Amino acid sequence: MTPTAPELLIGCAAALVAVPNAEDAGVFTATRLRTVATLNVLVAQECANGSAARVWENAALRLLLVEAAERYGARFAEAASIDDGDLSLTALDGANARLRRLLICLHEAAEDAADHKLDRTILSLYCEMARRRELRLPGEKPAT
Amino acid sequence: MMPADSGETLGQRLERYLSALWSDDVGVTNLSRIPGGASRETYRFDAQTRAGVRSLILRRDPTGSLIDTNRRVEFLAYQSFHGVVPVPEPVVLDEEGGALQRPFFIMARIDGGAPASPFAPSPYGEHADEIGEQLFAILGRIARTETGALPLAQCFGRPDPSTCWRGALDEWEAVILRDERHPQPIVRAAMRRLRRNPPPPAARISVVHGDYRSGNFLHDGHGKILGVLDWEMVHFGDPLEDLAWCCDPLWNHFDSTRVAGTISEAAAIAIWERESGLKVDTEALKWWKLFSAVKGQAIWTTAAKEFAVDNTNLSLAISGLYPPRRHDRIMADALQCLVEEGWT
Repeated sequence: MTPTAPELLIGCAAALVAVPNAEDAGVFTATRLRTVATLNVLVAQECANGSAARVWENAALRLLLVEAAERYGARFAEAASIDDGDLSLTALDGANARLRRLLICLHEAAEDAADHKLDRTILSLYCEMARRRELRLPGEKPAT
Repeated sequence: MMPADSGETLGQRLERYLSALWSDDVGVTNLSRIPGGASRETYRFDAQTRAGVRSLILRRDPTGSLIDTNRRVEFLAYQSFHGVVPVPEPVVLDEEGGALQRPFFIMARIDGGAPASPFAPSPYGEHADEIGEQLFAILGRIARTETGALPLAQCFGRPDPSTCWRGALDEWEAVILRDERHPQPIVRAAMRRLRRNPPPPAARISVVHGDYRSGNFLHDGHGKILGVLDWEMVHFGDPLEDLAWCCDPLWNHFDSTRVAGTISEAAAIAIWERESGLKVDTEALKWWKLFSAVKGQAIWTTAAKEFAVDNTNLSLAISGLYPPRRHDRIMADALQCLVEEGWT
């Protein structure tokens, strides 16, 4: 997992309050301030959209895993009982880690079984998972 | 060797070290840290000697790093290519590190240029074509260079052309498995696919820069590349590794019609082929492109882990946050395409 929002903001604060060395003045410090600003923009996006992305992903993984349990084994049915807790990012990430571990196993099993339909379903799911988690840098123009 | 807690400033330590090295009374001025990558601390300074002023760069090991690299290898890369392609002249390597508290090396400074921010839109403006021509011509010349006589040959054996892909994949897969803090199904799927669909043997074993891309060279703002930097991941292997990495969409400055924000991929490959004397195998390049995203994800995974240890290093924070999201997207899209094309 990429660093969490609290880790990032604490890091920004720590970097700002650290006593700089004399040789850090100038370009290095200016770059550090720009980096703090950029991180804050990215963290703002994560706080605004991160829960929705995780709730969607967890639900999608649950559905896929439970549906696959009949063919690939009862352990995948365990996904049904992995809930999102209090919907905090920490709880969502905890559930997501368990679901993703099952997904990795399921994808390996699908590949081993030459189950092309399920393989393609999972590959499509990866695209959507990645799309929903993307962040945009300040001033980033849409990709052409 | 100076004790680590002597209370001397970095400038004073540098003066003491260089005075002893050059048997001179060296004064250090204009010492200033610059953002020179996340894997080493980088400083610019001037050394006043009896013969005049030398403009220099210090690269010192950090306490935490994006990647675990050997500064000797980076130094030998500069020795290997100084005078062959534009790189700074290496001056001295100190692997003990006592003089400056951590291992370091010093090289000549190239003034009059700057690297592009890797995520700035259109960083080369009207000079994009000229930069692209040089960028891929230099890369072709690196690929063409015979490895056997280079100083770098002290460090590396010659990998088997038919299996060098596996060594590269093993290395970065191990990093992901070691440093992963959260399960990453996309990169796991990519690694499995790469193993099931290996590339043809390398056409040649070459020097691979390892991080050859937009943002890792100095340009003068008027269309001239002044120096290729950041050789810390250099190794011997398939030269397509560098070509694929340089063409990775992460470095395209949000313009998918141009690689590295410069020229079209077709033009880049034509220039590279002309300079390297090699023909690009398109199937092999597809493999190395997917590998590039895996390698990137390994680097970002380590950055995120290291940031958890040293949470004041904001280069690690950015590296651990933004690029892995894009590389997941790049990998997922590539996997879909490759499977449609027949990858098992």
